[in-house]
Amino acid sequence: MNDHLKDGQLRAALDGEINPEEQGHIRGCKSCQTRLEAIRAQADRSSRKLAFLSAESEQPVPNAAQALARFQKEKTTQKEYPMFQRLFSHRVMRFGTAAVAILVLVLAVPATRAMAAQLLGLFRVQQVTVIPVDFSGMQTLAGDNTLGKQIGQMLSSAVTVTRKASPPETVADAAQASSQAAFNVRLPQNLTPSQIVVDQGLAFSFKVDRARAQALIDEAGRKDLVLPDSIDGAEVSVNVPAGVSASYGTCPALTNAESSASIGMNGSTGRRYPDCVIMAEIPSPTVTAPVGVDVSQLAQIGLEFTGMSADQAAAFAKTVNWTSSLVIPIPRNAATYENVPVDGVTGTLIQRPVDDAPQYALIWVKNGIIYAIAGLGSDSQKALNMAASLP
Amino acid sequence: MTASKTSPARTSEYTEDQPSFEEAFLKHWASIYRLLVRLVGDPAEAEDLALETFFRLYQRPPQMGDSLNLGGWLWRVATNLGLHSIRSDRRRGQYELSAGKDALDEAFNLRPDEIASAAEEKRLARRALAQMQDRPARLLILRYSGMAYKDIAAELGLSASSIGPLLLRAEREFERRYRILSGGNGE
Repeated sequence: MNDHLKDGQLRAALDGEINPEEQGHIRGCKSCQTRLEAIRAQADRSSRKLAFLSAESEQPVPNAAQALARFQKEKTTQKEYPMFQRLFSHRVMRFGTAAVAILVLVLAVPATRAMAAQLLGLFRVQQVTVIPVDFSGMQTLAGDNTLGKQIGQMLSSAVTVTRKASPPETVADAAQASSQAAFNVRLPQNLTPSQIVVDQGLAFSFKVDRARAQALIDEAGRKDLVLPDSIDGAEVSVNVPAGVSASYGTCPALTNAESSASIGMNGSTGRRYPDCVIMAEIPSPTVTAPVGVDVSQLAQIGLEFTGMSADQAAAFAKTVNWTSSLVIPIPRNAATYENVPVDGVTGTLIQRPVDDAPQYALIWVKNGIIYAIAGLGSDSQKALNMAASLP
Repeated sequence: MTASKTSPARTSEYTEDQPSFEEAFLKHWASIYRLLVRLVGDPAEAEDLALETFFRLYQRPPQMGDSLNLGGWLWRVATNLGLHSIRSDRRRGQYELSAGKDALDEAFNLRPDEIASAAEEKRLARRALAQMQDRPARLLILRYSGMAYKDIAAELGLSASSIGPLLLRAEREFERRYRILSGGNGE
């Protein structure tokens, strides 16, 4: 080699990262040696200043097994929070959108999950069923924005809106709410709501695109789960009737979608409304589709998608009446639920003891109306007391 | 109906002949923690960042192929997290103040001015790194943490022969920023 080495090569030479030919050139070239020393001086200056990056730390390394245990504990709450957030804040308990809340409670979870089964056959809610779910395998569905956007089109490329949703309206009292919503609205007695809104609901229909739904499952990494051909082309109609929401305590405006999106679901925001309780009620949405599709089969696929084994999914699917159950998935290790007597029926109390913003939700169905009372904090007795005071 | 016979707990790239997540965690935890505690200085913050590093692995494991260097991948993620952390000064300032005080209290064999000088040098060095562009900053961190050229090249998507010139440029940039931060006194 006759050409001198470039500065970058000389720098690499300091670290022994040049070939023998280049090393030989340096040994015989005064010019390269002079430049090498200047580059060495600079490298030494940087090396002294950056020595802390390789120095032995005086701090002991935390025990790996203990760190792993901490990781296992924290990953559960961290990963599942977004899904729980969606359940409790985006739709179900979202201010001023009770009707849409119930709709998305039914439909927001992709068709590949247990909820999918409810789309087939005549669906009308008669009871609530809670399914603890391991969301850890579904992070792409929870956190991936691209996939999340696809969820709205998960079943079909063509959705026909037969009744448009309109902005929620504030009303003065339960009587006015009943008149506008066309069902008997019941609100806790001896409590004055901060606001009552009526959401007129919506209706739409679509044709199931099996390939599209299967692509979603595949993208989530579960190519082993195959949707049956029989759902392809099924015509589904969804009718979400008018619903009512009432807020108690200090709450953001029920008609303000942006502020409602953050209620309780961000620690600091939740602390701004610690005494806010929302009551929502809506007659059961109805879903109709062609008969002949095996609802239990689809439900089993959905349950396997949530992480159950095939045997567990098969056993569980048999215990649920999929055409009359409002199925609520909750994060397995981050929320608890129990059946409680409420309003003369059996309801479900779900609690999520997150440190900075614990939440609870009491859900029950009576005479075809779905009721939900949700709030922040750990005092779920508040919800039970409110339910007990309903006329 | 076609349904799976087995149901993996998560959609993982891990297969039977690859280390499980837990094995990878236990194997690499110490080196990732050490990298981060040296980089950010605060042991508690380093632990949080180390856990976050493994959370990224858990959440979106890299494609497991023959060429994957899992350790290198983890180092790259940890470096990014650490760099991001040292760019947010608030927590750092508090830690470095108390660390400086502790150093003064504990180091009996050094003159106070030497102790303060060493702590100040680290602070300035971290600030200089924080001000640099991502790639040269990462390059310096990985190199001065002990990573070989070929591994750095693999992690940064560069050719091994480009590391020398890029490292030289990064060091010059680092020295320039350090000089400005130290008021022209640091050499």
